[in-house]
Amino acid sequence: MPPIENTVWLEQRFRAQGYIPEPALLTSLYLQARLARPLLLEGHAGVGKTETAKVLAQVLDTELIRLQCYEGLDANAALYEWNYQKQLLAIKLQEGDARSLADKERHIFGREYLLERPLLRAIGERDAPAVLLIDEVDRADEEFEAFLLELLSEYQVTIPEIGTVRASCVPHVLLTSNRTRELSDALKRRCLYHWIEYPDQEREREIIRARIPEIPDALARQVVGVMQSLRGLNLDKPPGVAESLDWALALLALGKSGLDAAVLEETMGCFLKSNEDFRVLRANMEGILATMPGA
Amino acid sequence: MNPIHPQAEQEAVSALLAGRLTDFCHGLRGRGFRIGVKETLDACRIAGRFMATDYPAFRDGLRSLLCASEEQWRAFGPCFDAFWSRGEQSPPSAPAPMLPDMAGDSAEERARQIAGRDGEAEEGDQEGTLTTGASAAQALRLTDLSLLSAADLRQLERLAERLWRRMSLRLARRLRGHYLASRIDLRRTLRRNISRGGELLELVHAGKKRRKPGLVLLLDVSGSMNQYSLFFLRFAHALQQHFRRVHSFLFSTHLVEVSEVLRGGDLSAALELLSHMSLGWGGGTQIGESLQKLNRDYGDSALRGRPYLIVLSDGWDVGETELLSAELQALRRRVSKIIWLNPLLGMEGYEPLTRGMRTALPWLNVFAPAHNLESLLDIERHLVG
Ligand SMILES: Nc1ncnc2c1ncn2[C@@H]1O[C@H](COP(=O)(O)OP(=O)(O)OP(=O)(O)O)[C@@H](O)[C@H]1O
Ligand SMILES: [Mg+2]
Repeated sequence: MPPIENTVWLEQRFRAQGYIPEPALLTSLYLQARLARPLLLEGHAGVGKTETAKVLAQVLDTELIRLQCYEGLDANAALYEWNYQKQLLAIKLQEGDARSLADKERHIFGREYLLERPLLRAIGERDAPAVLLIDEVDRADEEFEAFLLELLSEYQVTIPEIGTVRASCVPHVLLTSNRTRELSDALKRRCLYHWIEYPDQEREREIIRARIPEIPDALARQVVGVMQSLRGLNLDKPPGVAESLDWALALLALGKSGLDAAVLEETMGCFLKSNEDFRVLRANMEGILATMPGA
Repeated sequence: MNPIHPQAEQEAVSALLAGRLTDFCHGLRGRGFRIGVKETLDACRIAGRFMATDYPAFRDGLRSLLCASEEQWRAFGPCFDAFWSRGEQSPPSAPAPMLPDMAGDSAEERARQIAGRDGEAEEGDQEGTLTTGASAAQALRLTDLSLLSAADLRQLERLAERLWRRMSLRLARRLRGHYLASRIDLRRTLRRNISRGGELLELVHAGKKRRKPGLVLLLDVSGSMNQYSLFFLRFAHALQQHFRRVHSFLFSTHLVEVSEVLRGGDLSAALELLSHMSLGWGGGTQIGESLQKLNRDYGDSALRGRPYLIVLSDGWDVGETELLSAELQALRRRVSKIIWLNPLLGMEGYEPLTRGMRTALPWLNVFAPAHNLESLLDIERHLVG
């Protein structure tokens, strides 16, 4: 794995993967590796939190290990489980066997019956640190969070039957949260923090060009113009970068080369999700179109 | 392109800059940022890496280190600009930074003392290899710390390190609980049924596994007990290497958590930073206020799961006794045991007559001496009971 040499290098690699980062994010990623602290990413929906981890893994040419959090996620499911089917089968096969019970037991609780879940995999034996993405950690409950904190402090875990597994190299840990609840102070303090802001006009245009190279520049500018105005309104669900990209793709597919009220009306479902938000857009249509580039 | 060497980063930070960073962190703390020693230490690393060569990255780096929410993220910019562009001033609306309450000389001396052993980094687990021989070692174990010469002290530190390591390994084995349990304990079910060829006749239900208590160490670092506190800090360090749930705090006029620093293993770096911090080493102790902070701010972290609490202090308290009493009472409800170690208790004829000590006594489960290595080792007894 190439080490993260500096932020310039990191920026080049990110851009080469079609990800146009804000400069401060590169500093955070650099420090994540340098200080060996997890990095907590927050920001509105669709600003590239999850994508950051995916691209980091590509950039570092290493495995992305993803733990998607959900309510009720427990340490077992995140760490390891025993392959009970396989164990049962083994017990069956050993039935007539003369070996002692203790021997049999030792055998079926050996490594080959262990199912590694993301967290164990991330600290398991490997040549280069993986990228561990703990996505939407706010959805897991507090008990799991406490468990996570311990793991992220020690990078080791004890499996009663096998012993202590200690990370041979500390993974790059990125957590994302959509702030459905407050994370514990302790976890937040363990982590570096980065709030990913909506991209400004210039960067959002670059993002669209990077992801959808075939898009005409004029259309990309208009899409971005509309998006930036929308984020200034009081919407229920303001559109993120994800929505800009969806919309731009839809416009291309529909053969549109420019935006007007009719096109917006026709395609607003690509970037707004509720009737209430449709209504807000309609009410502000004039102003939005007036400030749009090339209008 | 050159990879950056961590050593180079740290060398670049002068004592002056470290002091400024400490003040900056202190100012932010006054605005509700949760910043510990570890963060301040990392802030030095960031400054060393970026301040001279890439100023925006210096600011961005500190921001991602010190913030923990969107609100702080937004507040950070103005704080940073106000502090770093206006020379000497601290962030707006922050209380004036408290300067380390010690002479430069003794601070350095102290850091050096505590860092003392780090260069040698010798390992080895058998007591028998001690050059001094068994009886000399035994004598060292029993000598009052305040009476040891510097040479003896170093020897004792080496001995102690080994003994503590063994003690904490033993304790860790006994105290370790784990979190992994499912409602039907498939693991034990399988075990139980191995002899039946895998027919799951008997389901084993996992009882609620009780978590074994963690440890909270509170170390008095006020002037009245230097020699002891340094030694105890090493003790805390040794314990933390082997326990998962140890929280260590220093206190005198206020309380500071140092767990992460101690866990890092780099004692010398930690102590250097501590000396920059506004700890008020040598100031009068306010035990009650420190305990109040523990109760108030660490309920969800350090005090979670009814830990054992170990206080090392001589009980010289300049604060209010009512507060001390109330906070100890509150703590009693939250921890499994309060163990108070008092180095003076080893002195012949000492009676715990200080105001603070007399106030505390009724709330303690264990009141024991801590004046020599032997007495620290003796703590093991109270921790497994
Ligand atoms: N800076 C960027 N450069 C390139 N693509 C980006 C950038 N930011 C976001 N994207 C794209 O936007 C889409 C949404 O990103 P992602 O899924 O990572 O958002 P998120 O912040 O995780 O959202 P959610 O909160 O909904 O999980 C992805 O397709 C991603 O490729
Ligand atoms: Mg996401």
